[in-house]
Amino acid sequence: MTSLAIEVLDLGKTYSAFREKTVSALQGVSLRVELGTIFGLIGQNGAGKTTLIKMLLGLATPTSGAARVLGSSPRDPSTRRRVGYLPEQMRLPDYFQAKNFLRYMGRLNGVDRTVMKRRIPVLLERVGLADSRKPVKAYSKGMQQRLGLAQALVSDPEVLFLDEPTDGLDPLGRKDVRDLLVQLRTEGRTIFLNSHLLSEVELVCDRIVILNNGSVARAATPQEFTCGTGEYLIRVAAVDDAVRAAVAGVAGDAAAEWEQNALRFTPLDRAHLNSLLDRLRGVPVEIESVEPVKLSLEEFFLQVVSGQEP
Amino acid sequence: MFATYLNSLHESMSRRVALVLFGVAILIAIMFNVVVHVRTLPDGATMLAVGAQPPAPSAIAVPSMLESILRATGSLWMLLAIFAAAPLLTATLEKGWLELVFSKGTARWSIFLGRYLAGLTLYSLMFAVAMLPVALRLWWMTGIGTWQMGVALLIQTFGFAALLAVAALVTLPQKGVALPVIAAAAIWLLTPSLAMRQETFYRIFSSHFVRGIIDWAYRILPKCSELEDLCVSFVQGRTVTSWWPVWSTGAFTLIVLGLTLSLLNRKSF
Repeated sequence: MTSLAIEVLDLGKTYSAFREKTVSALQGVSLRVELGTIFGLIGQNGAGKTTLIKMLLGLATPTSGAARVLGSSPRDPSTRRRVGYLPEQMRLPDYFQAKNFLRYMGRLNGVDRTVMKRRIPVLLERVGLADSRKPVKAYSKGMQQRLGLAQALVSDPEVLFLDEPTDGLDPLGRKDVRDLLVQLRTEGRTIFLNSHLLSEVELVCDRIVILNNGSVARAATPQEFTCGTGEYLIRVAAVDDAVRAAVAGVAGDAAAEWEQNALRFTPLDRAHLNSLLDRLRGVPVEIESVEPVKLSLEEFFLQVVSGQEP
Repeated sequence: MFATYLNSLHESMSRRVALVLFGVAILIAIMFNVVVHVRTLPDGATMLAVGAQPPAPSAIAVPSMLESILRATGSLWMLLAIFAAAPLLTATLEKGWLELVFSKGTARWSIFLGRYLAGLTLYSLMFAVAMLPVALRLWWMTGIGTWQMGVALLIQTFGFAALLAVAALVTLPQKGVALPVIAAAAIWLLTPSLAMRQETFYRIFSSHFVRGIIDWAYRILPKCSELEDLCVSFVQGRTVTSWWPVWSTGAFTLIVLGLTLSLLNRKSF
């Protein structure tokens, strides 16, 4: 049995319409998502994220390459029965109430009526809509998003595709969703998450891919993305000429820049850093802290998409 | 498919157009029942009168009355019902909804066919609400069987199926509800003229080539007006001499619907 939930090989998608310019939405995208992990897909608007998700759900046909979900083609309805999806823009018809909406979504995935009778109240409880008696048309954006999450889970899927799941939710709602995602991973489900909220992706994902202009720009774990830059931030109690001279004497060709009482220093190696610290203690000056400087996922992402790849 | 079918019926009942049309159907049913009077003579024979017209023996008047009902409203229902049924098809392909339903474990064709069948049911129900009460009343009060109206309902639904298949095909480019309604209405308007092409188009076009094209258009397109004539023959108790409108309309519907479902299955959203 394969340990891969999703496998994408050299996937490409070109949109062409009569009398319109041909648009290449994806080119040569390859990625693998392990079972039971949370996979984050990030990229600018128009980077091809939604196109990729649509192809993984059999909604769009690839122009080149292949995609497999749980070892089968996503065009096969039996594969899609094992998958849940929350689209970015969801339109809920006015006439539904939460329960009959979930019932219909479940029926489309072949879920047995008796199973649904048991599962729907649990799901509504899980997404915080158990007490809602309103028709769907009276739902706020946040409530609709919660209902969207419930419908994605109604068939007890092995793989979940979530396109901006926290869109429209308040900070508390976003935390609920994050907790839910972690809980779903604990249950062994695979989650394919597409979000613009990079801080959230960083918090929950096991692996992240940055999509830029239709191709994979970088793929790594959040730790790899946000690992040290080689730069250190050294805070001292006070800076005077003696301290500046001590630093200048040790720094040599290495970058060293003062920002009030903090020194941004990129040592050549660890011994170089230690010699600087020894020299500072010898001045003497009180060293308050020494921290390696890390990039946030957002900083890393911005550098990648602006072409200043770290 | 059955889940989608039931959901589509539920959806159609929440749409104003369908509710208005059902209201109109009920009004028509009431109107027919009000204007038709059945009188029983001392010898037990029954006489039928429509409004202020002199009464006629039921054996003659009942088929004549059914024909009038069919001529007055039967075909018009097709046009009106398109306004209620076409949105069921276009709503399936609305952004935000299609991603939800087509990403589920049911084939696209099955979902769309469920919607299509719900559209047909909607038409049949409207037709039944408008026509069947008076037919049943006449049967009950005169003893003259009016079951032919049931067959007429099936034949008319068959004609509507062809129009709805055209609307379904035109739904695929996802350009809203207007285009499918216009396409189906155009076919509905064109078919009587094509059926009488010798009196209509042939008078305008003398070219053999153009007449040939018109002739082929007649052969290919559904024959709604001839299906109505067939219904009338049926309720009048006359022999149906040609089943050509039925099977050619059936072939058209199957081909157009098959093409629609096949294109939908291959469509990239």
